[in-house]
Amino acid sequence: MFSSKQPRSGARENRFVRYLVLASWAFFCLAPVVWFLSIGLRPRTEIITASPIYWPTFSLDAWNMIWNDWPMAHYLRNSLLAICGSVVIDLLLAIPAAYSLARYQYRGREDIGFYILSTRMMAPAIVAIPIFFLFKHLSLLDSVWALMLIYAAVNLSVVTWIIRSYMLDIPKELEDAARTDGASDLRILLEIIIPAVLPGIITAGVIAAIFAVNEFLFTLLIASTKSAYTLSVALANFTGGSDGLIYNAIALVSFLAFTPVFLVVVAIQKHLSRGLTMGAVKG
Amino acid sequence: MLSSKNSASWAAIDAAQSSPKPTIRLRSDRMRKLFPYLLVAPAVAYLLMITLYPGGYAIYQSLFYVKFQTWEFVGLENYSELFADREFWLALANTAIIGGIALFLECCLALLIAYHCYRDPWVKGWRIAFLIPMLFMPSSVAFLWKLAFMDGRVISDLLITAGLLDDHIGWTSSIWLSRLTLIVADVWQWTPFLFIIFVGALQGQDQEIEEAARLDGASWSQIFWNISLPMMKPVIAIAVVLRGIDITTMFANTFIMTKGGPGGYTETISYFIYRLGFKTFNFGYASAASVVMLIITIVLAQLVVKRAFKSSRL
Amino acid sequence: MKNNNLSRRSVLKAAGAASLATAVGGVAGRAFASDALPDPQQVLDDISVSKYVREDYQKLYNLSGAPLWDPSQDWIRTVDWEAVRKELAGTTVRFAVGAADQESAAEGLIPFEKLSGIKVELVPIPDDSFYDKALAEFISGNASFDALQFFSPWLGDFAAPGFLANLDEYAEKWNLPLNDFYETYRMNYGYFNGSLYGIPFDCDIQMVHLRKGAVEQVLGGKIDKWNSIPSYDELIRISSELNKVQQGVSGVGIMGGRGFWSTYTWEHVAAQAGMMLFNDNWEPVFNGDAGVKGMETLLALAKNANEGFAGHGWPENRAAWLGGQLATNISWQDTGTQAMRPDQSQIVDDFVTIYEPRIAGGNFAPPNIAGSTSCVAASSQNPEGAFLMLAFLTTSSIMAMNEANANGVAPGYRSVLTNKELQTVSQPADVWGTSLDYAWCAPRLPGMFEMEQAIGNELNRAFVGQISAKEALDNAAAAVRKIMKRNGFYSSKPPVEYAKAEPGLWVGKGKALPFS
Repeated sequence: MFSSKQPRSGARENRFVRYLVLASWAFFCLAPVVWFLSIGLRPRTEIITASPIYWPTFSLDAWNMIWNDWPMAHYLRNSLLAICGSVVIDLLLAIPAAYSLARYQYRGREDIGFYILSTRMMAPAIVAIPIFFLFKHLSLLDSVWALMLIYAAVNLSVVTWIIRSYMLDIPKELEDAARTDGASDLRILLEIIIPAVLPGIITAGVIAAIFAVNEFLFTLLIASTKSAYTLSVALANFTGGSDGLIYNAIALVSFLAFTPVFLVVVAIQKHLSRGLTMGAVKG
Repeated sequence: MLSSKNSASWAAIDAAQSSPKPTIRLRSDRMRKLFPYLLVAPAVAYLLMITLYPGGYAIYQSLFYVKFQTWEFVGLENYSELFADREFWLALANTAIIGGIALFLECCLALLIAYHCYRDPWVKGWRIAFLIPMLFMPSSVAFLWKLAFMDGRVISDLLITAGLLDDHIGWTSSIWLSRLTLIVADVWQWTPFLFIIFVGALQGQDQEIEEAARLDGASWSQIFWNISLPMMKPVIAIAVVLRGIDITTMFANTFIMTKGGPGGYTETISYFIYRLGFKTFNFGYASAASVVMLIITIVLAQLVVKRAFKSSRL
Repeated sequence: MKNNNLSRRSVLKAAGAASLATAVGGVAGRAFASDALPDPQQVLDDISVSKYVREDYQKLYNLSGAPLWDPSQDWIRTVDWEAVRKELAGTTVRFAVGAADQESAAEGLIPFEKLSGIKVELVPIPDDSFYDKALAEFISGNASFDALQFFSPWLGDFAAPGFLANLDEYAEKWNLPLNDFYETYRMNYGYFNGSLYGIPFDCDIQMVHLRKGAVEQVLGGKIDKWNSIPSYDELIRISSELNKVQQGVSGVGIMGGRGFWSTYTWEHVAAQAGMMLFNDNWEPVFNGDAGVKGMETLLALAKNANEGFAGHGWPENRAAWLGGQLATNISWQDTGTQAMRPDQSQIVDDFVTIYEPRIAGGNFAPPNIAGSTSCVAASSQNPEGAFLMLAFLTTSSIMAMNEANANGVAPGYRSVLTNKELQTVSQPADVWGTSLDYAWCAPRLPGMFEMEQAIGNELNRAFVGQISAKEALDNAAAAVRKIMKRNGFYSSKPPVEYAKAEPGLWVGKGKALPFS
């Protein structure tokens, strides 16, 4: 198993160029974030001015506003619920499907795999209206369940794909050994495959979570009250009405959504790279 | 992968080997054949539910002129109007142009960063910094860049201070400048995604070949171009496909930053459909556009995805 | 309001503002039995400046607590609440509000519930997609609300297919002071094809605002609201001077964004050139000389405009104006009110709102654009109760105090805009009030929303130089004609009779100018 413990460092000048490139990119990634945070922590009148203000006065106006004037805790809760729920649904559906696509040969396998992948191309605007009416008939509107269902559908393809590629990496010998001893296919799946791809499952779950947080249009249509409003739509609250665009609130809500995702990613960052190579490179 | 941490797996195998023949067993051949289908059925059924119904509904609705509750059958008129509609073709072109440029830049940048990054263990800890843009909601990212470019005029202010500009420029008044703002927002947010894929792939490559080349005196960039990159082809293909699929549905940036931009030149197809459906309430027409998009994506998917499918080990 | 996202939040926030909620002991306990209802006078006394207007504003303007309205025209104080209670106490009204407003709406309606005994249930819809969701509800044939408030240009879109309930009977029965509204608001926000369907809610007008310091410097003297900038040519000249004065500050602010923003901006100026949208056969004639002149004036102004104007809608323009990026601004009246408030504005005390500049050969036609109206759904189960609730929310005292709070909801009552105390807290009020007697307004027709979008998209292309003004207007006229046709206009029975709509289109017709 390859590990990058040994440095593949190059000549001195290579290192300089390397660090320059990386530092510039890191700056490009992080500077806007720091600036955006400063937007969130300043009074509203200092955001849009004749000349941009780079050293604002510190103010917690926006922080107070989002917690006092809005049910922010509900939004957070809904976001978390919808995301976790959708990830669970995805994993339940994707693991068997991935196994089927990875290990079995049968007619239509490629078409099925292709179909699953192509659902990701479904632009939300295309299906938004019919889905809205469908959920209305089912009285599912404005519930976290509806959001869970939608997020799960949107991300199922990616989750399946990722898990499948992990499964491809499992040496066939393990399964063959178990099979000759009479273990049923189902048991193999449950007791051997799944534990083996656990890192892949976790990675897939986290990726799905990241994408679910990103979902915007469906959430906009389905949610109406704080019982289903998530953070992504909560942003919309600060963009309309007679108060115009309230950037400091927008910034803080953004960070509110960012933080849990960030913490989770830090926790599993070791696995992240690996998961996304899609098994295209032999590990 | 199984060597290190999977004592659980070995234990399971031991258990399977040493236990008496299990009572549940897929005896019949029929069941054996059906089993893979059964495994994949729930996922497929679920997806069908979410795609079949809207697809069918959209096709049906596209044959009507819909005004609130009245549906007036117009046959293929919506389609003929659509194909004659300048804005529709513009939206397609915009999606292709903006998406294409963004995708290309993301790919190149991600490769560049990954190349510089993967060999050095020191950088590993900093890698998380590169991931940060990806973890924000797309609408947050769009607002961030809207403020930086347009409303807060920060970017132009910095450029003026650097002496590159004389006065504030109107990002939304110029076609290419407004497209640039959308591209910057997308590249900023999604390059990290490609980056982690590429880094993982590069790190997963066999070190021996590199060592051998090193010993032969090849420079790092030669190694990269001639060895690493070709080996990465399947990964790049997959990454491009995955990201490319997402880019065709680009919506949030347009919706928040430009609303279609000067004269419609930053209107992506997704926004076009949204605008028709939810701003002009021309649902029949919007459905027709949706159906056309559906067909296009299926065709594209057939071409691109199946090729990627085949060329890689997938 | 200028957005789809309406200002329910603001009015209801204002209404619920102060101690009312606490005075009654919490938000709970909303259904009142008839005999448990408090004395109406008590409740009414609490609807006052001291309780409703923000404390810091009260101090800022030295408000004495005297009413900013005329009590004899204030519907809530003239209606017989006992009669209301007798008939409707115990019934329920479902009111569609922006999800954001839910909390403040509940508070703001408590006095109503106490006065009438009618219980109000809020049906929240997210602000951003309010219109879309409301429409979907209507389409489903069984709207889940009795009352709602929306952008007034769409009155035709909703009234023509029969989604709204006729209010003539109720207005008569409960003595709604319709005549206290300026004609332009009453006729255009309330009536469709001769019948009353809505009560004007947020009453808008577009105006021209100037930054005092900068403009006085260029003009070399104090600003006279009628004479200093008497024409658009003068505005063009001045804005080009102002453009050079300070970096980061543009000569004029224009909303040229895609969609209805461009439409509204153009309507504003073209109306001064004498433009009318349709002739008496409902044929679009706005691409004639007047319309083109209006657009060409705007294009000349655009040379001195804020650099991002072609992407600006009201939120962006407002932010730019309040942030001090503009030396003059063509926008709604509330940019003149909100600029007075130190917590929102960087230009407090440095601006003034003037009378509409004239165009030679045109009309004096200050534009009544956008705004919102409040209506009752045709499928409502309690239309009378819904009507009463809307009458409560739109009553002149509450509206006047909205203006005092600068929350963006604007009053349309003569008795309010001419009130001296109110004029101290609302800088544009006296110019606005005088202008309203000459106002121009677009007709309320089914399909109007779609038409506004079509026109605006074409005009936006002209703003960015892709096509000429004439070409844009010609394209727009063709698109509009198509939409009109689809909505049944060129048949023997158009949905709106021109004769019924005509009086509201320009109420200044035939009147002498207010000043010479």
